[in-house]
Amino acid sequence: MISIRDVTKVFPGSSTAAVDHLSLEIPEGEIVVLVGPSGCGKTTTLKMINRVIEPTSGSILIGGEDATAVEPHVLRRRIGYVIQQVGLFPHRTIAENIGTVPRLLGWDEARTAARVMELIETVGLGIELADRYPTELSGGQQQRVGVARALAADPPVLLMDEPFGAVDPIVRARLQGELLDLQARLHKTIVFVTHDIDEAIRLGSRVALLNVGGVLEQYAPPFELLQEPANDFVADFLGSDRGLRRLSLMPIAGVPLVEGPVVAPGTSGEAAQRLMAASGVDWIAVAEGRRLHGWLPADGVGAMVEVEATRPFRSFLSVTATLREALDVIVSGRSPFVPVLDGQEYLGMLTVDRISEEMRR
Amino acid sequence: MSEGPIVDWGWVGGHLDDVWERTVEHAVLTGLAVGIGFAISVALCLLIHRHRRAYGPVTWTAGVLYTIPSLALFAALVPFTGLSLLTAEIGLVSYTLLILIRNIMAGLDGVPEATKEAARGMGFTDRRILWEVEVPLALPLIVAGLRIATVTTVGLVTVTSLIGQGGYGFFILQGLRRFFTTEIVLGTVLSVALAATIDVALVRMERALTPWSRRRVVP
Repeated sequence: MISIRDVTKVFPGSSTAAVDHLSLEIPEGEIVVLVGPSGCGKTTTLKMINRVIEPTSGSILIGGEDATAVEPHVLRRRIGYVIQQVGLFPHRTIAENIGTVPRLLGWDEARTAARVMELIETVGLGIELADRYPTELSGGQQQRVGVARALAADPPVLLMDEPFGAVDPIVRARLQGELLDLQARLHKTIVFVTHDIDEAIRLGSRVALLNVGGVLEQYAPPFELLQEPANDFVADFLGSDRGLRRLSLMPIAGVPLVEGPVVAPGTSGEAAQRLMAASGVDWIAVAEGRRLHGWLPADGVGAMVEVEATRPFRSFLSVTATLREALDVIVSGRSPFVPVLDGQEYLGMLTVDRISEEMRR
Repeated sequence: MSEGPIVDWGWVGGHLDDVWERTVEHAVLTGLAVGIGFAISVALCLLIHRHRRAYGPVTWTAGVLYTIPSLALFAALVPFTGLSLLTAEIGLVSYTLLILIRNIMAGLDGVPEATKEAARGMGFTDRRILWEVEVPLALPLIVAGLRIATVTTVGLVTVTSLIGQGGYGFFILQGLRRFFTTEIVLGTVLSVALAATIDVALVRMERALTPWSRRRVVP
C-alpha cells in the first residue's frame, strides 16, 4: 500500500541524515508502528508520507502512485492525519472540526452532516457534543475527535504521530483499545509513530524499530520481535522484561487449564478437605459442570459442601484476557489457582505453572 | 476663571447643535484614522507574515512615528499640508500603526503550531490556513488592538483642534481661550464618553465574532 523506497532526509544546516536510505513496505490494512528513541527519524518518516516534510532523495509510493505526482494539499486530503497535540480548530465546533476535510473536498452539507454524525458515534462520543467547542472537551475526548476528523473523508491511509502521547495512561489504554476495535471494522492502512514500545507491541501488526539516524534495525510482527530480536540494540530497546511483554500478546484461550480444587455441591466435607490438602490451599471452589457457584473457606465446609454457603470469587479471568493479565491476577492474589470464565461459563483454573509451560513452548 | 458654577447647564442647552456637529466631526476623524490605520496595518502584517524579515524594519518605523509628540508632528506637517483634514489624519493614522501592527502580529503568532500543522496535514493551502485558521484565531488580539488604537485616537483628536480640526477639542480649546470651564468640562466628558462608547461597541463586536472564546474550559 505504502512503499518507502531508499528515502533519505537531510535537514538544511545539518550534516547528518535524519533518515538514511530507509526502505519499508507497509501492507494494506495493517497497523505499522514506527518506534525508536528520539532522533531515530520516526516522525520525519511519517511526515514524508504526506509531504509535510519533503524527502531529500528516494521515493514514496502510495497505492502504487508516486506521492510527488500530485500537489501536496491534494495528496493530504486523501490521507488521514492525527497528531499528538490533536490540533483541533478552537474556533470551530466539534461537528465542524470533523467535517473539515469533506468541506475541503466540496461535499454538500447534507452528506457532510450525515458523515459527521456517523463518525461521532464511531469514535464513541455522544451526539450532544456536536455543537460544543474543543475547549469544552477533555483530552481523551479531543483525541477521539482528532481521530474522527482524520477518518472523515474515509481515506485508505491514516498517519498517526504519537496520537495518545499527551493523555494519561488510563485514557491512553482505552484509546488504544478503541483504535484496535475501529481497525477491526475499518481495515485502514495505518502508520503509527510512538516512542513507547508497549504501545507499539499492543497496536502493531508489524513494528519497525528505528535507530538514531533513521536506520531500520528490525521490521517484524511484535511477537517475532520479542521472540527473536535481530541484534543487541533491538533486545535492549525491548527491555529485560521481553518475556513478560510476549505474554501480553498471548491470549488465555488455547492454554490447557487445570482442574484445581473444585468440587460439586453435595460432596462430603471430608473429601473436600482432602482435595484442599492435596492442592495446598485452604479453600475449595464449588462448581456444577460449567457453572461456578463460588468458593468456601476450609473452616466453612462442614459435613457437606452446600451451594448456599459459597462466596463469590472476587478474582477471576476472562478467557479473552492475555497471559500477562493472568499472571498479574495470579501473583497479586492470595491463591495459586484462578478460575477462567468464558462469559458466564466456567472453563477451569489457571496457574503460574501453566503459564510458564506455555512460554517454553 | 469666571465666577459661577463649573458647568453652566444653560449654556450647554443652548449649544446642542454645536455638540452634535462636533460629535460627528470627532467620530469621523477617529473612524477615518483607525480605518485607514487598520487597512495599512493589515497590509503590512500580510507582508510580514510572508516575509518575516520585514517585521523589524516595519515595527521600528511605526515605533519612531509613535514617539513623535503629536503637537510637534502637526506643526511639522502644516507647512506642507496646511490646516487640513489631511494633516490631522496623517498624524492620527501614524499613531495607530504601532499598536495595530503589534497586536495583529501577536494574534497571528499566538495561533498554536499544532493547529496550523493539523490544518496543513489535512490539505489546507497556506492561503486557507491564513484566512480560515490564523485570522479567526487572532481576532481577540486584533480587536484588542483596535480598542486601544480607538481609545487613543479619540483622545488625540482633541489635539487636532489646534490645526482647525478637532471635534470635541474645539470646546476644550475655546474654553481655555475664554476661561470658560463649562466648555472644557463638556469637551473632556464628551471625549471620554465617546471613547467608552466605541470601546463597548468593539467588545460587543468581538463577542459576536468569537463565540468559541467564552465557552467553559475543561481542566
